Amino acid sequence: MTRTWSNAPAYAEVVRIGIRSMLAYRTRFFFSALQIIVQIYVLRVVFTSVYAGQGSVDGITLRTTVVYLTLANLQGFFSSSFLDYFIRSRVREGKIASELARPVGFLGQMLALQIGSTLAMLPLLVVAFPLAWLVGGMSGPASAGYGALYAVSLALAYVIIVLLGLIMGISAFWTLETTGIAMIYSLVAQFFAGALVPLWFFPGPLRVVANLLPFQAMGFVPVSIYLGLPDGGNPLAALGLQCFWVVALYLFARWFWGRAHHRVVIQGG
Amino acid sequence: MPIITADNLVKEFRLPKRYGGPLGGLRTLFTPAYTVKRAVDGVSFTVDEGELVGYLGPNGAGKSTTIKMLTGILVPTSGMLEVAGLVPWERREENALRIGVVFGQRSQLWWDLPLIDSLRLVGKLYRVPAERYRRNLDRFTELLGLGAFLQTPVRQLSLGQRMRGDLAAAMLYEPPLLYLDEPTVGLDVLAKERMRSFIAEVNREHGTTIILTTHDLADVEKLCRRIIFIDQGKVLYDGPVQRLKEQFAPWRELVVQLVPDGGELPPDELFDLPGVEVARREGAKVWLRFDPKLIPAPRLIAQVTARCPVSDLAIVEPELAGVVRGIYAEREAALTP
Ligand SMILES: Nc1ncnc2c1ncn2[C@@H]1O[C@H](COP(=O)(O)OP(=O)(O)OP(=O)(O)O)[C@@H](O)[C@H]1O
Ligand SMILES: [Mg+2]
Repeated sequence: MTRTWSNAPAYAEVVRIGIRSMLAYRTRFFFSALQIIVQIYVLRVVFTSVYAGQGSVDGITLRTTVVYLTLANLQGFFSSSFLDYFIRSRVREGKIASELARPVGFLGQMLALQIGSTLAMLPLLVVAFPLAWLVGGMSGPASAGYGALYAVSLALAYVIIVLLGLIMGISAFWTLETTGIAMIYSLVAQFFAGALVPLWFFPGPLRVVANLLPFQAMGFVPVSIYLGLPDGGNPLAALGLQCFWVVALYLFARWFWGRAHHRVVIQGG
Repeated sequence: MPIITADNLVKEFRLPKRYGGPLGGLRTLFTPAYTVKRAVDGVSFTVDEGELVGYLGPNGAGKSTTIKMLTGILVPTSGMLEVAGLVPWERREENALRIGVVFGQRSQLWWDLPLIDSLRLVGKLYRVPAERYRRNLDRFTELLGLGAFLQTPVRQLSLGQRMRGDLAAAMLYEPPLLYLDEPTVGLDVLAKERMRSFIAEVNREHGTTIILTTHDLADVEKLCRRIIFIDQGKVLYDGPVQRLKEQFAPWRELVVQLVPDGGELPPDELFDLPGVEVARREGAKVWLRFDPKLIPAPRLIAQVTARCPVSDLAIVEPELAGVVRGIYAEREAALTP
C-alpha cells in the first residue's frame, strides 16, 4: 500500500500526459464528435419513420426512444476507451517496451492514461451536448432518484468500458495483428450496448444473448435507469449486475495481464 | 563483485504460422502450429561495476534480445540472470529503478508532446526529488545541447536531437546501469563524436556500468576496453579489444613506400617471403600483410630494404573494423555450402 501511495505523483503525471496527448489530437477528435452528432440525427430519422406516426411501440413512446438514443450515443462517445487501440498499436510497433520498462505497474499506467484522455474530452461536452439535444432529443431524468442512480450507474459503466478496453488491448500480446478482431469487437460491443437499437426492441433470443454479455452494462443499463426503466425491472438489480461485471472483468484483467506479461514479445530490434 | 551475471541464457521465439485475410488474426489465435527461433542460445557472461562493455555481433545475432532480458521486459526461455542482486523479470519495477535504457531504433519519448513533457514524466516515474531533477535537467541540457528544442514536439526533432533526448530521459534519474542499444545509429560524424564523449564521461565520472551495442566499430575502439562478440545467439569472444585482434587477425601490415629504381617499380614477386603476402598495392605504395610469428617485423624490414630501395616504412595494427569484417566474411563462407 505504501508503495502505491509513493507512486501517486507518478500516476498524476501520467494522467497529465494522457490529457496533453489527447489534446494533441483535438482536430481528429473534434471530427469524431461531429460524427456522433450525425449518427444521433440519422437514428432519430430512422426511428421516427419506424414508429410511422404510432404513439408507442411495445409500450414505449417515440420520444423516450429518441432521448434514449441521444443519451446512449453521447454517453458512449465521452466514456469511450482508447486503451484497446493504444495498447494494440504500441505492441505492434514494439513501443510497448517503454511502458514495460517503467518502475510503476503497467495496468496503473494504462488506467492513468485513460483517465487523462477522458478528462481531456470532457470540455467538448459544452458544444456536443446542446448539438445532440438539437438534432436528437433530451429530457430530464425520470425522477431525482433515478437521476442519482444514473450517476452511479454511469460511473460503473465507465469502469466496465475501460476494463474491456484493457482486456482487448492485452489480447494483442497474443494475437499481435488484431485489426480484424478489433473492428468486429467494436461493432458487436456497440450493438449489444444498445447504441443503435435500444435493447427493449431486441427480439426474445437476441435479448437473452444481450443480457448474458457485459456490453449492455456499458450503455443500455445507465441510460434506461435515467429514463426510469421504461421496459420494467428493478434499478438496484441493474446496478447489482453492473457491479458483478466490474468485479468479474477486474479479476479477469488482472489474471490476463499476469499471463501476458510472462509471454511478452517485443517486436523489432 | 559482478553487477550482472548471465548464466546460460536462452531465448526462443515461437513464431505462429500466420494466416492472411481480414480474419487471419483470429485463425492465428486458434492454431497451435508454430516454428521456433532460438535468438539467444546459451549466453553467459559477467560484468563488473563500472565497466563499459561493447556487445557486438552481426544483424540478428541476439544483441537486442539480450538487452531486453536484462531490462526485464522479456522472460528468458531458460537460464539465469541477476542484475544487482535481482532477477530482472521477477522484480521488473524494482529493476527498472536502477537501469537506464536507450533503444536507438525506437524512442521512449512521447511523440506528439514537447520533449520536456517526457523528461518531466521520467522525473516523476522514477521519483526524482524536485531539486535533483532541476539539477540533472540543467546538466543534461548543457551536456547534450537540448536547450534549443526542449519545447519542441518530439515528432519534429531530427534523429540526432531525438537520440539526445532519449539519452537524457534514460539518465535523468542517474541509474547505476545503462543499456545502450545502438545509440549512435544514423548520427552524423560530429553527433557521434558528442555522443561518445558523453558516454565516456558518464562512465568515468559516475562509474556508471554501461553495456553498449553498436555496428559502428569506431564507437567500440573509442569507448570500450572489453567486448563480448556474439553470433547466432552464442558468445564467440569475450575479452579485451586487443586480444580479439590477436585472436582473429594475428597478422600485421607493413606499408612500404618504394623508390622507382631507374623508372622501374619492382614486381609483387619481390616480396615472396614465407608468412608474407601483398594485401594491397597502389603504384609505389605496397601493403604487406605478415604473420609476426613466422617473420618478426625487424627481419621483414631488413629483407625488404635489402631487396629494393625504400623511402618510407610504417607498421599498422589491423583496424577493428577490418577484423570484424573478416570474421563476418568467414561466417558467411561457412554458412553457404
Ligand atoms: N519478437 C520477435 N519474434 C520473433 N523473432 C524475433 C523477435 N525478435 C527477434 N527475433 C529474432 O531473434 C534473432 C535475434 O534478434 P535481435 O533483435 O536480438 O538481433 P540483434 O543482434 O539485435 O540484431 P541487429 O544488429 O540487427 O539489431 C533474429 O533472428 C530475429 O529474427
Ligand atoms: Mg538489435
